[in-house]
Amino acid sequence: MPTPYELPQPPSVPGARRPVRRMERPVHGRRLAGVCAGLAEHLGLNVRYVRLAFFLSCLAGGAGIVAYLFLWALTPQSLDSGPVAGPDAVGASRPANESLRNLVIGLGLLAVGGVFFAQQQGVNLRLGVMIPLLAVAAGVVLAWSKLDEAERGRWLARDMGSGGRRGALVRLGIGIALATVGVIVLATQGRGLAGLWDVGIAAVAVLVGAGLIAAPWGVRLWGDLRTEQTQRIRETERADIAAHLHDSVLQTLALIQRKAGEPAEVVRLARAQERELRGWLYAGPLGSQASLASAVTEVAHEVEDLHGVPIELVVTGDRPLELAGTALVQALREALLNAVRHGAPPVSVYVEVGPEVVEAFVRDHGPGFELTEVPPDRFGVRESILGRMRRHGGSAGVRRLEHGTEISLRLPVTASFESTTQPGALAQPDMVTPPDTERSR
Amino acid sequence: MIAPGPSRATPIRLVLVDDHRMFRSGVKAELDESMLIVGEAADVDEAIVVVARARPDVVLLDVHLPGGNGHGGSDVITGSAGVTSESGEPVRFLALSVSDAAEDVIAVIRAGARGYVTKTIDGRDLTDAIRRVADGDAVFSPRLAGFVLDAFGAAAGEVAVVDEELDRLSAREREVMRLIARGYQYKEVAKELFISIKTVETHVSSVLRKLQLSSRHELTAWAVGRHLL
Repeated sequence: MPTPYELPQPPSVPGARRPVRRMERPVHGRRLAGVCAGLAEHLGLNVRYVRLAFFLSCLAGGAGIVAYLFLWALTPQSLDSGPVAGPDAVGASRPANESLRNLVIGLGLLAVGGVFFAQQQGVNLRLGVMIPLLAVAAGVVLAWSKLDEAERGRWLARDMGSGGRRGALVRLGIGIALATVGVIVLATQGRGLAGLWDVGIAAVAVLVGAGLIAAPWGVRLWGDLRTEQTQRIRETERADIAAHLHDSVLQTLALIQRKAGEPAEVVRLARAQERELRGWLYAGPLGSQASLASAVTEVAHEVEDLHGVPIELVVTGDRPLELAGTALVQALREALLNAVRHGAPPVSVYVEVGPEVVEAFVRDHGPGFELTEVPPDRFGVRESILGRMRRHGGSAGVRRLEHGTEISLRLPVTASFESTTQPGALAQPDMVTPPDTERSR
Repeated sequence: MIAPGPSRATPIRLVLVDDHRMFRSGVKAELDESMLIVGEAADVDEAIVVVARARPDVVLLDVHLPGGNGHGGSDVITGSAGVTSESGEPVRFLALSVSDAAEDVIAVIRAGARGYVTKTIDGRDLTDAIRRVADGDAVFSPRLAGFVLDAFGAAAGEVAVVDEELDRLSAREREVMRLIARGYQYKEVAKELFISIKTVETHVSSVLRKLQLSSRHELTAWAVGRHLL
């Protein structure tokens, strides 16, 4: 049967297929968001060439910017913080502020250059709209880039170092303030119909822009969160299983090793452990404690533990445990004790809980005995089994088979489960089950 | 304890399917010379290949196996449909499990196994069970008999009026099942009911057929639990 544990990964053999590697953005050695560094490592190229390629493609109609943003959005940040190999490794400890500064400066320069270029070409850019828009964009970039860096896990978990947290909050605040100022300037600058038109366009632009910036971040946040959740669930499960195995199976195995010289004890331990593990794995078909079937099971296990003789138990049907049922369980216990003491294994128990009658059979493979041969001062069979069943409106019998003995208990449901003190109501002689009652039923 | 079946001139050709090598070697050590192990497999896909190549009389099959469609032993049985032994009989399967879970047992029986025994069975009883399955008879452990009585509502008093009824046991089948559940061997059942061992075997085979073909809700629910239907 397969165990619920995964096999440990086989050690990687040279020449074997390499495990699929995901591209990740390294924490150290990044200039902006680590996309170039990650890509370079993934492809096995020098970071400089990758950066150069991105820079050149930025000039070609801004394709590089789009590609960069896409890669930034779709690649997760690496979890291990080992520095990337390459000429950049020196800058591994560069503070995060620097990359942020680079980003802001670069974007600013790009924007200023673009504006000048457009003006020179004779396009009226309406700087009155553009400048607030740029302010908004700068604010948004500032805010979101900080979020990416500060790692939403720490941001959400609120357990980050106070300094880092304050810095992040300050930057977030500045970004939001900038954006707000931009929107306010936009909204108040133009009067009249044309002005409203401008404001409308600007507002839509801001919303779309903010949405565009937030969407990939949201997607990644969601992905990260799910990965983390499944990982945590798996870890918890594993810890549970490990704890259970340690408390039960490992302890029993240790005990078995120490008692290796006592076969009976080893069998008993193994059997008890098997039962316990089985109950844990399959959570038992017999749920509630107050049912007849579970009481019978409990008694069988108890006797098994006491004497180390395996008992094959089969129960069909079930019903709530009432007083008469308890009597049956006690009689059954006595019969089982009798079977494991005087009989020989295998010992089988069959309990059938029907709508009208509850029947129980305990069978062993010993030499067998006749009730008449049992001395009258022995109370086990006569009182604890036969007498008890009779007192509760049932009956019991002892049969000697070719191999072993069978004790049968019988308890009518309707008569006894309601009124439990009717001495002799359904009493029958002690030897109630001659061989042919079986057939005539 | 079980009366040995008719002795055969040739040994029974056997394939062992179990993902635990220790268990396979344990079984091998326990079987006598009337059994010839012609193949071993540790998962579903390997088992189907080995059974098709070795064409054994009986496959001793663990209920829980890796591979295939994830249904363990049931997948081996469905994957080996139509394979015959060297003597032209269909290959027979005897399920072997540590699991007490009803759905596992019922699923593998409904897939076509001729019987079910627990792994704690001793060597002699296992030999007898294999011999019985090789002869085309069914092997019921007390626990399987208990499942059957439960699933067919026989324990609650439902009894078929006609023997052929698929969704209920006949009165006689119920008696046989009850005695098996009480730990009686076939020989003892026969003596108890004053019938021949052959008649007991016929009853058990008939119950097995009902178990495989019946559309009783309890049985189909168990099979669905193992994604078999």
